Amino acid sequence: MKTSKFLGIASALALLSSAAYADSTVRFWYHFDNADNPMDEIVAKFEAENPGIKVEAENIPWNSYYDQLYTSIVGGNAPDAAMVKLFAQPRLIELGALQPIDDYLANWDGAANIEDGLIDLVKGGDGAQYYLPVQYVALYLYYRADMLAELDLDVPTTCEEFRDVAKALTRDTDGDGQTDVYGFGFRGAKGGHDHWGTFVLGAEGVSLTDGLTSEAGIAGTQFVADLFQKDKVFPLSAPNDGFQEIIGAFKAGRTAMTIHHIGSANGMVEALGDKVSAAPVPVCGGGSWTAFGDESTAVFANAEDPDAAFKWISFLSSEGNNTKFNEATGQLPVVKADAANWTLHPARFVEATQNSVAAAQLLPSSSATSDFVNTVWPTNMQRVLIGEISAEEMNANIDALFSE
Amino acid sequence: MTTATTDPSTSARRSVIGRRVLPYAMLSPAVLVTLAIVFFPMVQTAWMSLHEYVLFRPKDFNWVGLGNFKAALADEVFWISLRHTAIWMLTTIPAQLFLGLVTALLLNQDFWWRPIARALIIIPWALPSVVIALMWSWIYDSNYGVANEFLLRLGVIQQAVPWLANPDTALASIILTLTWQGFPFFAVMILAGLQSIPASYYEAASIDGASAWRQFWHITLPGIAGVMMTAVLLRMIWVANSFDVIFVMTGGGPGYATHTLPLYAFIKARTNLDFGYGSSIAVLFTIMLMVVVVFYLRRTRKAMD
Repeated sequence: MKTSKFLGIASALALLSSAAYADSTVRFWYHFDNADNPMDEIVAKFEAENPGIKVEAENIPWNSYYDQLYTSIVGGNAPDAAMVKLFAQPRLIELGALQPIDDYLANWDGAANIEDGLIDLVKGGDGAQYYLPVQYVALYLYYRADMLAELDLDVPTTCEEFRDVAKALTRDTDGDGQTDVYGFGFRGAKGGHDHWGTFVLGAEGVSLTDGLTSEAGIAGTQFVADLFQKDKVFPLSAPNDGFQEIIGAFKAGRTAMTIHHIGSANGMVEALGDKVSAAPVPVCGGGSWTAFGDESTAVFANAEDPDAAFKWISFLSSEGNNTKFNEATGQLPVVKADAANWTLHPARFVEATQNSVAAAQLLPSSSATSDFVNTVWPTNMQRVLIGEISAEEMNANIDALFSE
Repeated sequence: MTTATTDPSTSARRSVIGRRVLPYAMLSPAVLVTLAIVFFPMVQTAWMSLHEYVLFRPKDFNWVGLGNFKAALADEVFWISLRHTAIWMLTTIPAQLFLGLVTALLLNQDFWWRPIARALIIIPWALPSVVIALMWSWIYDSNYGVANEFLLRLGVIQQAVPWLANPDTALASIILTLTWQGFPFFAVMILAGLQSIPASYYEAASIDGASAWRQFWHITLPGIAGVMMTAVLLRMIWVANSFDVIFVMTGGGPGYATHTLPLYAFIKARTNLDFGYGSSIAVLFTIMLMVVVVFYLRRTRKAMD
């Protein structure tokens, strides 16, 4: 009895002392695909270095990340800081949800250690700085080196070559009349605008906000439709395929090429070893376009203690900690020293990323971009693939969205 | 000297008032909770549907009257979704009812493993919708799915079919999934109804020489009519509103091939953050569903009488 009383009092005191010890709490939202991630370790290190600040990091499922973030902001329950992508920035600024961090950055030594140009790249449309980069990637082409070698093919560098190679790679390997390998794993569901962009937005004079309804713009979308309908180089499920499906099919050897970033490289190597390699996406319509996959952190306007929140996000983008963070996400560190010592990925994938950065583009800084990514692109692309609407109609619908 | 004794008529009045008030007092917590979590959001939805309200512009809450409703009625996707909702309800509920009825009749027979069969049959109903949706997505998968493998081996199809990526088969595939999920509800309800029919009715009918079919038509069906009516009504409302399975399996795609009205309202409000327009679709759908329910109740009551 005495022991239990003593334990009770001791635990109550311990709780009280820890509560009193944490002067401020930073509620942080992030999205890691891997539930078994080192966030607790990173938080523990931060808390040890910054007594008085407690971090409550919550892993939010990616599929509903932005739905939940917007709802929490309007509901007055937004986190103090969160991982954020550039496409969401215009909406977050419009909501008045972000805290400018220009002054913090000016007084932070670590800013000089971030890769050149990255901080400016994520500047807000109104000229203020809200985002602090934490990782980056550029999308590239994954290909099965063994299959190309078997058929004596080269890695495609243009759209025309891409079509020929994809057709050659689409094969019935066991003679049962069924296609066993498809040339390219196309992502027709949400997120697949990155694939479409390579075939459409590289063309001269074509971008999401300009020239999409031109002959070159329409030809790009038609090229994608033809790859599926005429050349039959995409799996039949392509209109509904999302991230899991395209990566799963590639790892299983059902597709011979696909487009994604270095984040999936280790999983690919685990499944396929040296048979998988990567190269920049092909040049289409005279130019090259690939998506710049950004991820930053931001302090929210409602943060109880913005100083503490900035301390935490800057901690994630500082030497050593940035490596730890990117080990969990499988993307590339933004801190120069961490990038120089990067050993997490095989060199061929890091090289493919570096060679792709020059062509990497951001989506327009517009409030319409979220709708483009979430509903307008997937619905229109699927309708084109299943033959419900024409390439021209799809491009006109996207053009109308960005003209509003 | 005054005494503390109360007038008998006063005490009687008090007890009458007490008896009248007590039920309301006992009910009020439940009523208040229902008002707060059911009626308040309903009224709020109706109010939002009359405004232009986009979540990422929370300061702009502009009155547009019936503008959202007019826009919805002129929206091609609204009509596509309505057509799919009608197909969805008109096929899923009869299929579930038929399967449930057959299952209940089988489970009402005497066989030694009946208790196990009764327990097993409830599994699809007990599983979470998301689990069912993911499970069936893999069954239908055109690369690895067991459905294609099975049909290819049987020689029914010559090429793997992308069940969920083909607009001609996507909705039907999801309807099959939902039928599988929902038929145990009918089976259990109807089984309960069957067990309430006295065995003496069947004995008397047999003595009179009634065939099994006549017994089913004149004793079994009238005996379970009330249960079936209630079960159909409940399922009608649940099936109409359910979109979780569709959302997980196809997200409404390819294109609009599996869009239903509740899903469209959800996508508009939750993904596009257009709460005004999303609410107007939800309100329109609620009115339509109420009309269907009232019509159904009137028809079935007449039939029952």
